[in-house]
Amino acid sequence: MDVALCTALPSDLRAASITFVSEPSPTDGELIARIAARDRFAFEELHRRYARAVLGFALRRIPDRGRAEDATQDSFAAVWRSASTYDPARGPGAPWLYTVARNVIVDALRRSPAATVADPPELASGEVEPPEQAEASWLAWRVHRALTVLPEHERPVIELAYWSGLSQSEIAEFLHIPLGTVKTRTRSALARLADELEGELR
Amino acid sequence: MTERPPAFDDLVGDDLAPGERERLQAVHELLLRAGPPPELPPALEQPPTVEAGTLIPFPRRYRFTAVAAAAAIAVVLFGAGYLLGGSGGSPPPLRTVEMRGAGGATASLAVFARDDAGNWPMELTVSGLEPLPAGETYELWLTRGGELAEACGTFAVAAGTTEVPLNAPYRLSAFDGWVVVRAGTATPLLTT
Repeated sequence: MDVALCTALPSDLRAASITFVSEPSPTDGELIARIAARDRFAFEELHRRYARAVLGFALRRIPDRGRAEDATQDSFAAVWRSASTYDPARGPGAPWLYTVARNVIVDALRRSPAATVADPPELASGEVEPPEQAEASWLAWRVHRALTVLPEHERPVIELAYWSGLSQSEIAEFLHIPLGTVKTRTRSALARLADELEGELR
Repeated sequence: MTERPPAFDDLVGDDLAPGERERLQAVHELLLRAGPPPELPPALEQPPTVEAGTLIPFPRRYRFTAVAAAAAIAVVLFGAGYLLGGSGGSPPPLRTVEMRGAGGATASLAVFARDDAGNWPMELTVSGLEPLPAGETYELWLTRGGELAEACGTFAVAAGTTEVPLNAPYRLSAFDGWVVVRAGTATPLLTT
């Protein structure tokens, strides 16, 4: 048996183009089907796409951050366990995953009623979510999921503009890039998000 | 959310076509309504550890019998395995990736469970690649978006089939393929 060494190659080779090995990203549904077949890479990818969305959803229902983080982990464990129940004929993967996470979060609230004393009265049962809040949760879920499709160089521009209060000039200074690049990346990112959120925009 | 939401016109300028402007403005409003996604703590940056198997509950009245039978079978199998194969043995791979190339060259890449340090042990079985002159090697690369992304190791081959242990310290889900190239070139000889 030969011995292999992990070696770093010259940087110019890293950028070499090999166009024919690229494949489109799998859909959420395809990932869930692969998880049902115990594909851990698919599980990692689904986690990468949805970890922040699930945590954001949990934080909306569970004010205690530690418990919300536990519910997030429990949600993904539930996905692993129940992936075989996903039926692509009944819809895409995102709503299925949302339902799994919601069930886990509701169960978490049921298990520890004492910890929900500080919850707003309408959430005390942990089971009923007002329609407008459910809609807001679903919207945030979709938007946060969509943000994960942005390339690494576009996502910070959006996050700094929308949630850090920085102007375009301040973003340019912060990221050490020209103002024109900030504007180009912002437009490109918004267009990409529009493609991803097409269903929400109708 | 920030107390100073960005003005849409400042973000995109005023030279967009009307249809595109309307589309981007709708996204702008969704972003404002959704609010920021939470930052992930380190503990949530990786998915939870999960078991490969699934537990199938046994009826309670048979549980003791089943446990006793399973223990007896395990003892017998362990003893037989120890006698026949020694105490070593590799765990089964989590995933096997098949690769093909010109001239009938093929490779099979077995990826095993990630170790505690975050490395993915792998074993590459290659056949059909021509042996290279002394000092020259092949390389296994992870690819992303059609480009060489990260090197996973170098190896030489002999005539016939060669087995090579390799290691990838990367998050594999961040990549979309594997290729084998001759060291110092970017021409894929084997691809997924």
